[in-house]
Amino acid sequence: MPDFRVDIRARLAAVRLSPVREAEIVEELSQHLEQEYERALSWGASDGEARRQVVEQLNASDLLGRELKHVERRISEKPITLGSERKVNIFADLLQDLRYGLRTLAKNPAFTTIAIVALALGIGANSAIFSVVDAVLLRPLPFKNPSQLVMLWENAAHLGFPRDTPSPANFLDWQKQATSFAGMAATSERSFNLTGVGEPERLEGRRVSANLFELLGIPARLGRTFVPEDDKPGSHVVLLSHSLWQRRFGSDPAVVGHAVTLDGESYTVVGVMPPFVQLPGFENRNDQLWVPIAFPSEEATQRGNHFLEVIARLKPGVTLKQAQAEMDTIAARLEQQYPTYNKRRGAVVIPLHEQVVGEVRPALLVLLGAVGFVLLIACANVANLLLARAAVRQKEIALRLALGASRSRLTRQFLTESVLLALFGAGLGLLLALAGIRVLKTFIPLSIAQVETITIDARVLIFTAFMAMVTGIAFGLVPAIQGSHFNLNDTLKEGGRDSAGGSKGNRIRGLLVIAEVAVSFVLLIGAGLLINSFLHLRNLDPGFRSDHLLTMKVNLSEVKYPDRERRAAFFDEVMGRVRELPGVQLAAVAGNLPLTYNGDSMSISVEGVPDPPPDQQLDVIFRAIGPGYFETMGIPIVRGRDFRDQDNGNARDVVIISEKTAQQFWAGQDPIGKRLKPGLSTSSSPWREVIGIVKDVRQNDFVVSPKRQMYFTYRQAKNIPANALVVRTSIEPMNLAVPVRSAIWSVDKDQTVADIDTMDHIVAQAVARQRFSMLLIGLFAALALLLASIGIYGVMSYSVAQRTREIGIRMALGARRTDVLQMTVKQALKLVGIGMVIGLAAAFLLTRVLASLLFGISATDPITFMGISVVLLAVAILASYVPALRATKVDPIIALRAQ
Amino acid sequence: MASPVPDRELKKGSAELMILALLEDRARHGYEIGQLIEARSRGAIRFNIASLYPLLYRLEKRNWIRGRWLEKAGQRRRRYYRLTASGKKVLSKQRAGWREFVEAINLITGIQHA
Repeated sequence: MPDFRVDIRARLAAVRLSPVREAEIVEELSQHLEQEYERALSWGASDGEARRQVVEQLNASDLLGRELKHVERRISEKPITLGSERKVNIFADLLQDLRYGLRTLAKNPAFTTIAIVALALGIGANSAIFSVVDAVLLRPLPFKNPSQLVMLWENAAHLGFPRDTPSPANFLDWQKQATSFAGMAATSERSFNLTGVGEPERLEGRRVSANLFELLGIPARLGRTFVPEDDKPGSHVVLLSHSLWQRRFGSDPAVVGHAVTLDGESYTVVGVMPPFVQLPGFENRNDQLWVPIAFPSEEATQRGNHFLEVIARLKPGVTLKQAQAEMDTIAARLEQQYPTYNKRRGAVVIPLHEQVVGEVRPALLVLLGAVGFVLLIACANVANLLLARAAVRQKEIALRLALGASRSRLTRQFLTESVLLALFGAGLGLLLALAGIRVLKTFIPLSIAQVETITIDARVLIFTAFMAMVTGIAFGLVPAIQGSHFNLNDTLKEGGRDSAGGSKGNRIRGLLVIAEVAVSFVLLIGAGLLINSFLHLRNLDPGFRSDHLLTMKVNLSEVKYPDRERRAAFFDEVMGRVRELPGVQLAAVAGNLPLTYNGDSMSISVEGVPDPPPDQQLDVIFRAIGPGYFETMGIPIVRGRDFRDQDNGNARDVVIISEKTAQQFWAGQDPIGKRLKPGLSTSSSPWREVIGIVKDVRQNDFVVSPKRQMYFTYRQAKNIPANALVVRTSIEPMNLAVPVRSAIWSVDKDQTVADIDTMDHIVAQAVARQRFSMLLIGLFAALALLLASIGIYGVMSYSVAQRTREIGIRMALGARRTDVLQMTVKQALKLVGIGMVIGLAAAFLLTRVLASLLFGISATDPITFMGISVVLLAVAILASYVPALRATKVDPIIALRAQ
Repeated sequence: MASPVPDRELKKGSAELMILALLEDRARHGYEIGQLIEARSRGAIRFNIASLYPLLYRLEKRNWIRGRWLEKAGQRRRRYYRLTASGKKVLSKQRAGWREFVEAINLITGIQHA
């Protein structure tokens, strides 16, 4: 029987069918021809004649080829590997790709797990940080038309206060004269002692202009907000916060209209506000109640007393620039009218959003950048894994190409797999983010507002999904293109050795390692700088010994203790009882504690020195304290003596100053015995004699070097009440919280005790934001280092596995183990070295954005840069050493036999 | 019946109908289809292999017929074609259409059935 298959194949050549299809057609047609041939024979034709007859059919004017072209051509591109001969259908293909992808991933659990975990870490960190950034920076403030809201400050830049709190008289003039605003409201912090219901409690609150809540667009939850009639001196109405209403009044709706006792006076509750009302301002306080600001007449005329925070709403259509221009005009007019107080005082208009988030923005953006880097490294790692796997899978790929799969279809299949991985990573990442946010919240300092609102919401989900898609495509693209573009012939010829894993593949893997090293280097430098600057911060001398110090706020009611004699009697009694408690070494009455309060400073005049002009008067921070305070706090007295109980209202007035104050006002002299007084030398307040000099204390701000300070004894201070206790303990300070509080209550059961805390904790709070940034970036950098070392390890192991044969030959030719070891590590170090050089350059540029977060070191601190280089190098050597060691264990004979 | 070998166009138009009709009651392989057409037309219609198979593939692509490789004991595997559900629909439609067409031609040309 003649073989017709050759004849048929020759006529099919032009159609260029896929191999499988061609084989089918050849088989079918040759069977047909064979039967015709047999029939011809059975009719008596000779062999040659029968054969000629049959083949003639094929020759008929190339009909077969032409006809088949019409029918078959269009489907010849269709991949047969993926199963059916259905029409090309993108959706069906996608489903098929997904099923296939899932199967392949399930077949390689180790690879899949590593890839998903790496991605989950990257995506999870991103989602968590994004949720914070979203809540703090991106989401509009919870007020009506928040973009119209601004804060107004006095500009006293020449005194170091570019945003100074306005004085009441200036505020009232602004309010009268400005036309750019739909409304302007002032607030001022005020705390109250709540008594009469259960335990007495100190509550933080605010005096506010009656129009404030209307201006912000927050209606009352119950009752009403304030009306203009409330804003008059003598009106005793109060608005409760939602949490106070729940906590102290059992969510009783009937509370509206009832009276509560605040600072010993009766106030009528007019309303309850909705949850989470947080007024914007300098200090982030958790306001519990609000009363009308109702300036008394003597306050309304004060121009030199700056304590207000002013919020305003721009009229529709008025721009920030126009409002600023108008405020400039008004401020200039007021400067002319009241030169004594308003000399060189301007006015600034700041958008509310900028006011609220301005300080945290750099830290958060740096964090977002850092997690972005972590994700990049995770992507590079997974891309590496996929590349290595693509090399392993090249036989599968070759087979599929040979069976007619198109390269674009293969690329699509690869991308589907990587996006699948990313989606799984994102799913797991979201779980990590949920846990991460819970942890984050405990670290986020109070000063970053709106913490309650940080959640995984639709926006975060969309962000995560988007990240997953982008990362999936990003890390999948290179291996996909690479994997589907290798030379089919070579692969099949070489028996499956080394093609996608060839020089091009190695180059890409090398590039990925370089990128990983560079990115982690930048992150590590950032973390190193932050850790370093945090250490600098922690090593700062606060000016006192913070260990074993218990502190608490004891605000005396002005109604119950109207004069200093009665206050002194109360404190004497309390001190007597506290000092007798077991575990108490020392105790003293204190004023506002260091690092808890930003206010209380005044200008002073020095006896015998003419008063400087108003714009050059120097402020001195003052505190009212009791005898024994310095010893209790561990603040050294440099010269002179401490206050004594005898320094009271009947004795001559005395003052203790800090070293810096001494230097400022009595440089080169002995200040002891010299006299000063608050305000101008012509004021009616008495001269005070300097009796001692103490070390500077970081009073207001831990990061800023100490300012000028002075101390009065509370027994001689009329309007500056002492409001705290400090207790030095021999045991864990918090264990004394209850006994000390009981001692206070045994003297006055209605006395409020608030903010029980240790000084250590207060100091820690003062650097909380820095600690927060440092911890997070440190964490991300550690993550980056881990991922990068896994990446280096992976690439080196792969490279060693690939070069088994070469290593075997080398060893067979006499290379020693150390040579092989060196060669392998050197290869890794070359990549790491290039990565580090790039990272170094990038770090020099990028760490500049960190500058505002750093303390005590420069953004290009050479020690940090060197230290981090050493760390990274060490990790890189370790990561490549293990595979290198394995390379030396290669048995030359086995290696040479391998493939 | 005095019918010469129908010309190419006519053959092409009717070829689909013939194949579908032949597959109506059972599956057949290509050679069998060719033989049956030749036999039933008493040799008047003959399909060249170069036109028969592309036609089969075309029908298959339209999803009117479906080919499957079948192996019978002791034989080589062969590709059998059978009518699909949509093929059945097409067949009945074409059959009706063809009948109308033939009747119309007959009415006009006055050819009487033998």
